[in-house]
Amino acid sequence: MDGQDNEQRLSDILDMIGSMASLDFSRVLKISDRNDMIDAIALGLNMLSEELNAQMVARDTLDELNDRLEQFAHTTAHDLKSPLNNQSGLLMLLELTLKPEKDSDVETCINKLKLMNEKMKSLVEGILAYSVVQAREITKERIDLNELLREVMELDDVVGRADVVVEGTLPNIFYNKTSSIQIIRNLLDNAIKYSDKARCKIRISSKDLGKYYQITFKDNGPGIESKYHDKIFELFNKIEPSYKAGSVGVGLATVKRIVEAGGGRIWVESEQGKGASFHFTLPKHGESVETAKAMDD
Amino acid sequence: MQRETDKIKFILNTDGILYIECLPNTVMTLEDGKLSTRLGAELVNGKPVPMLCDLTNVVKMTHDCRKHFSGPEHAEIFTKCALMVTSPLGRIIGNFFLGANKPLKPTRLFTNKDEAVKWLKDR
Repeated sequence: MDGQDNEQRLSDILDMIGSMASLDFSRVLKISDRNDMIDAIALGLNMLSEELNAQMVARDTLDELNDRLEQFAHTTAHDLKSPLNNQSGLLMLLELTLKPEKDSDVETCINKLKLMNEKMKSLVEGILAYSVVQAREITKERIDLNELLREVMELDDVVGRADVVVEGTLPNIFYNKTSSIQIIRNLLDNAIKYSDKARCKIRISSKDLGKYYQITFKDNGPGIESKYHDKIFELFNKIEPSYKAGSVGVGLATVKRIVEAGGGRIWVESEQGKGASFHFTLPKHGESVETAKAMDD
Repeated sequence: MQRETDKIKFILNTDGILYIECLPNTVMTLEDGKLSTRLGAELVNGKPVPMLCDLTNVVKMTHDCRKHFSGPEHAEIFTKCALMVTSPLGRIIGNFFLGANKPLKPTRLFTNKDEAVKWLKDR
């Protein structure tokens, strides 16, 4: 009789483990008054189930809160764009009306105001670009990275600001075009912005890793201390040179977000004074269309 | 000094340790946890002491109750906590206080009371 009873208790335990594995934490095992090992296992599972359920609820709440914060950041940045553009226009008008003398206090003040306004605009645009990464509808298509690189370089006048060399031929990838442009643009921009040489040099190469392509942007800039290798990918990172370079700390965070959302990863290899190599991976094959909620930009 | 509820007995011994024992088949709920903290606080009179809690007779402790025991309010009554775990159920419950519901003060499990008291008296 006891044997049969124990078999039933063990069977209940197996069912409980099955429910927990399928993330159903509603089941509760009965505890007999024997205070034996089977009771202890059952009690332990009940308690673990409660803990996991509490963790899941906490995580869901946090996710929801993050979504709302992101939506708030997006809306705020979006709403700030228009008054900032108006402000730029007004500053131009003010300059035209006052016609300040060269090197006068008025000209210095106007230039400072223009600089601050431009910085605020890049911050707002950066936040918008960052917040829209996971919300946009991601349609993937076949992209020739060589062709896309040429397009971005032409649009952003990179040739006038840096020497870019591509080693060999870059691969064709299956990715979202806007995201690919953002990756290339931000990495080029980052290398140029931080360059401490008379001429910024960037070498772009690729490697076939089987399921992934690894793309590398190597520059001849000042390099990055190892203690900042993770920090530079954080949003609004406050590494001292970033301020000097007029950075708002959004570009690399956006690239990281895009790369990780696409199933890849990004990292930097660098020693101070010896330039930096930004590596990122992109999966070779992806879903043709990933549907996600669309967000009005 | 001693206090008692229908489930738990609290004794503040002359050795300076607060001993807590439960009656057989005790199920601890959040209310029991809060009452336990209140009675403990009255006994120690605002000065936290080492605490020995025997979980042998506890057969269930709710999630809310464990959360309470791992929180700041309960931590005000003890400096360190030795949990006696001599039954299979007590052992399981005790282990939760080492990780998932870790209290804010040092906590260890014991199966031997003398060793528990020795650890509590160690500075």
